[in-house]
Amino acid sequence: MKITFNWLKEYLEAENLDPEEVSTLLTMSGTEVKKLDYVGERYRNIVIGKIIDFYPHPNADKLSVCKVDIGSKRLNIVCGAKNFDREDKVAVALEGAVVEGQLIRKVNIRGEVSEGMLCSEKELGISNDGSGIMILDQGFVVGESFSRSMGLDDIVIELEITPNRPDCLSVIGVAREVSVLTGAKFVIPWHDRGKEIKLKEDSLDGDLSISIEDYKLCPRYSARIFYDVPKTPSPFWLRNRLILCDLRPVDLIVDLTNYVMLETGQPLHAFDKDLLVSNKIIVRRARSGEKIRTIDDVERILDEDMLVIADERRAVAIAGVMGGKETEINPETHNVLLESANFWGPGIMRTSKKLGLRTEASNRFEKKIDPMLTIFAIKRFEDLLTKITGYKSETSIYDNFRRVQRERKIDLRLAKVKKLLGKELDSHTVSNILKGLGIENTVERDIVKATVPSFRFEDLEREVDLIEEIARIYGYEKFDIIPPVCSLRKGGYSFQQKVIKNLRQTLCDIGLNEVINYSFLSRSLFESFGLHLEKEYSNPVKILNPITEDFELLRSSLLPSMVRNVKNNINHGIKDIRIFEISRIFRKSENSKAPVEKNTLGVILSGRAKAKGWDEEEEFYNYYHLKGILEFISSKFICSDFVINPQEYRFFHPRVSGDVLIEDSKVGIIGKVHPVLLEKMEIEQDIFYLELNLDDFVSKVEFERKFKSIPAYPSVEIDLAIVVDEDVKNYEIEQEIRKSGGKILRNVRLFDVYRGKQIEPGKKSMAYSLVFREEERTLKDREVEIVVEKILDNLKRKFGARLRS
Amino acid sequence: MGNVSIDEKLNLELESFLKDIEATESLDELEKVKTKYLGRKSFLSTVLKNIGTLDPAERPIVGKKANDVRKTIESKINDKEKYLKDLEFEKKLREEKVDLTLPGKKLPSGKKNIISKVIEEIEEIFIGMGFEIAEGPEVETDYYNFEALNTPKDHPARSLHDTFFISEDILLRTHTSPVQIRYMESHKPPIYIIAPGKVYRRDYDVSHTPMFTQIEGLAVDKDINFGNLKWVLQTFAHEVFGKDRKVRFRPHYFPFTEPSVEVDVSCNICDGKGCRVCSNTGWLEIMGAGMVDPNLYSFVGYNEEEVSGFAFGMGVERICMLKYGIDDLRLFFENDLRFISQF
Ligand SMILES: [Zn+2]
Repeated sequence: MKITFNWLKEYLEAENLDPEEVSTLLTMSGTEVKKLDYVGERYRNIVIGKIIDFYPHPNADKLSVCKVDIGSKRLNIVCGAKNFDREDKVAVALEGAVVEGQLIRKVNIRGEVSEGMLCSEKELGISNDGSGIMILDQGFVVGESFSRSMGLDDIVIELEITPNRPDCLSVIGVAREVSVLTGAKFVIPWHDRGKEIKLKEDSLDGDLSISIEDYKLCPRYSARIFYDVPKTPSPFWLRNRLILCDLRPVDLIVDLTNYVMLETGQPLHAFDKDLLVSNKIIVRRARSGEKIRTIDDVERILDEDMLVIADERRAVAIAGVMGGKETEINPETHNVLLESANFWGPGIMRTSKKLGLRTEASNRFEKKIDPMLTIFAIKRFEDLLTKITGYKSETSIYDNFRRVQRERKIDLRLAKVKKLLGKELDSHTVSNILKGLGIENTVERDIVKATVPSFRFEDLEREVDLIEEIARIYGYEKFDIIPPVCSLRKGGYSFQQKVIKNLRQTLCDIGLNEVINYSFLSRSLFESFGLHLEKEYSNPVKILNPITEDFELLRSSLLPSMVRNVKNNINHGIKDIRIFEISRIFRKSENSKAPVEKNTLGVILSGRAKAKGWDEEEEFYNYYHLKGILEFISSKFICSDFVINPQEYRFFHPRVSGDVLIEDSKVGIIGKVHPVLLEKMEIEQDIFYLELNLDDFVSKVEFERKFKSIPAYPSVEIDLAIVVDEDVKNYEIEQEIRKSGGKILRNVRLFDVYRGKQIEPGKKSMAYSLVFREEERTLKDREVEIVVEKILDNLKRKFGARLRS
Repeated sequence: MGNVSIDEKLNLELESFLKDIEATESLDELEKVKTKYLGRKSFLSTVLKNIGTLDPAERPIVGKKANDVRKTIESKINDKEKYLKDLEFEKKLREEKVDLTLPGKKLPSGKKNIISKVIEEIEEIFIGMGFEIAEGPEVETDYYNFEALNTPKDHPARSLHDTFFISEDILLRTHTSPVQIRYMESHKPPIYIIAPGKVYRRDYDVSHTPMFTQIEGLAVDKDINFGNLKWVLQTFAHEVFGKDRKVRFRPHYFPFTEPSVEVDVSCNICDGKGCRVCSNTGWLEIMGAGMVDPNLYSFVGYNEEEVSGFAFGMGVERICMLKYGIDDLRLFFENDLRFISQF
């Protein structure tokens, strides 16, 4: 919200308020000042002048030479515009002024000296009109500063008002804050001219009746009719104040409604009374499908949750949001009906949200403004109208108001102040701060008995709310910094957090980079990976109101977004990619409304494992690199090995696709991303992907190790090469060797796989290194031989294996 | 051949040897010297071979003398041989061709995401102050995300959180604050936790991403006051941004704290004088905080007269941006390896 410093000062009795100091005090008490804009500075050396005479430039057809009186002297000014005459008052930029970023200097234009510049409204930053120079009203005084004459010698204060302080969405509200912060007295600078004004409840006699269908939605509706309003344009000071506060001037009546809203916080709306069908104003719910064209010329379709102002025929305004086009103030308007009402905040918020229409009025109403303001605002409107036009009115204010309790008593214990803020404040200090905020109070021993006024009724409900007021006005910086006195305790990570943190570090240490993707996924990417056809992934969580289609689903696998990471990096010229992500995946739950969330690790390897070096050959990633990572993880975190069980997934190569098991339970998947999928995505290199469910994985992790004594007797190492059918899997052979080897077999390691000339087609040779050892003694050669024979026998029986000679 | 003459000749022989060995510069030459003075035809061998022909009285004297000379010669030859061998080995080493400036063997290097890195840093600061790490679901109920945080339906503060919905009352959490409520429901004070995690808001432009990261903190104990909040958060800010930075506490509004605070640190780019980064204020906002609103205690069944506490929350991306001078929020989720590998 923007207000101006001069405007603020109208409500304060103070000689020397420093804008910078006021700004700091406001910021440090919770009304943050975003910016101070010294508007007046822009008009330095621009004054009011009068054109005495002018004649065509002797050497340039399009230019004129003007003699301009600026009070102290007469200037010679060359001008390109034609829209002026002798005696016109104009804005003159003198030497040293800056207009549209240009410094004005004395110059010679084709033989004629020019000692300044006559400015257009556009050049002055007042409007977009650059068609000619700005011609001022004759009332302006020659030689006066332009900015002072125009109400532009001001400072715009841009404020951020928190949603709990609707009272501060006004000049008056901010002035109250400045008053308590600086000690400057808060004053209302205008008189209530309304002695003759009588209030009427809902009645049919007279000029107007107001009927309210639901007092919850509209607790108060006040209105007044102004007959025969003069057709005076808005004075410059009024227009300019609105412009400085980001509101567009329209005509006097509309400008005054806006001005009073900015000043008091009470939104007003003016109808052309003669365009209403009768004297009856009805505040009612809209009918389902009811239409209204609003003043922004958009047709709005309403529903029964919305409140409208209507005459006996149709809706004429959307209550608290925007008025209707049909009854708006127009150049022909004679009689004005001024509405000053109070609407139920949540209702206005819903309506404004549904219509996608936020206005200055709706923004104020939705934060629940004070219903006591309505009459005050009408009176201020009349005051200004009278001051500007001399208008006098004898009509009544009509007021339909279901009175509500708007006063609240709160007991504030000084002990509680000390307990919560950590500092003792005396009753005098506390009482004065509250008084400064307009909260009347009396002190009874250690209790301050406070009465909250109507304009703070919504946000000051409890003792703690008053304590906050005291803290912020007293100044947060004045409270001591105190180390907490608490029982000694140990902070730290849980076991799962420790494992995941350690895993993240481990993966980085072996060369992987961590990515973090959005949890969202588009349906098209989801389906292009065939996830909708894979039982486990096919039930993604859908967002009801996604920003775009790209954010429609929550990920049920990390795969698609990680493959996209590969694609994007390849586009940037990075082709060797090893990345991981630790994030949650989401799946619909069968027995709960909330989905299942699982901490998940995704790993991708793609491109070269090693670039060609001066002493090594380049090497591309393959499945076994990824499996190596899995084995590294298992040796670091757990005792049991990961086992790969072939299992086809649509997004993987049909032969390089498997489940990852620990102790026979599935903890993840591993495979090579399907080449057709990559072709569709225009990725020209293999991608290998591993996904682990970390919640399951963590349950298998054993960080604590038990010491095993170092072998005291030597081991025997035997190499064993066998020939088997292609279909026999390494894992099956290893299992058999271990089983047959018994307890003296300590280790089995595959060190060679051979296919080729020396072996018949359809077969392969597998070479294992076996390590035998006995704890208590040295093994005899014969003992080992017997075991090896047994292993061979069993391999022969099970797989038709033979020893390779 | 008289006695004197043998003795003298042996002396001469030794003298000649010492001269020769001195001049020897290679193992080949040394071999020749060895043959010359110790070989079968050498003077010394001749003397020893013919010792039996001498007068028995002379034999021991000449014998001893000859043996002494031989020992001396042998020892000198051994020394010289070792010396020459060392020299030769040294020479061989020096002839090896090695370019020490060739590149080393690459070890792979990976980087934690900057967000993880900064979360861990922040976690460690708070763990040092006795905090634990708490977690909660990213898909939340309306109750935990708003209602129990003193933000009922139709509360104006809800409009600040544009929310993604899964169903009418299931939503993506808009902040990590629901973890506070869940944790208080299942624990009794004293409570000292921080809760990092992803949060979601329906906002997507230059300065907003629909997902971002927050860290929430909560301390609830018998006698926690506003001064304690200032101490903990100032200590934190000094740890993250440096001890030389000024920290200020500014009143603000959050529905679930009372009084509420925004915490600023002085801008290090302009040294507090005002610049583009700090919007000419000289201050950078780093987090929101406040004393826990007593209404929250009633939601979780605590007695508000018996406990007090403070809560705080910060955006991790913002902390990263301020700490590392990153000027584009979108970089965090583009996963460009040229960005990730920098930290
Ligand atoms: Zn700065």
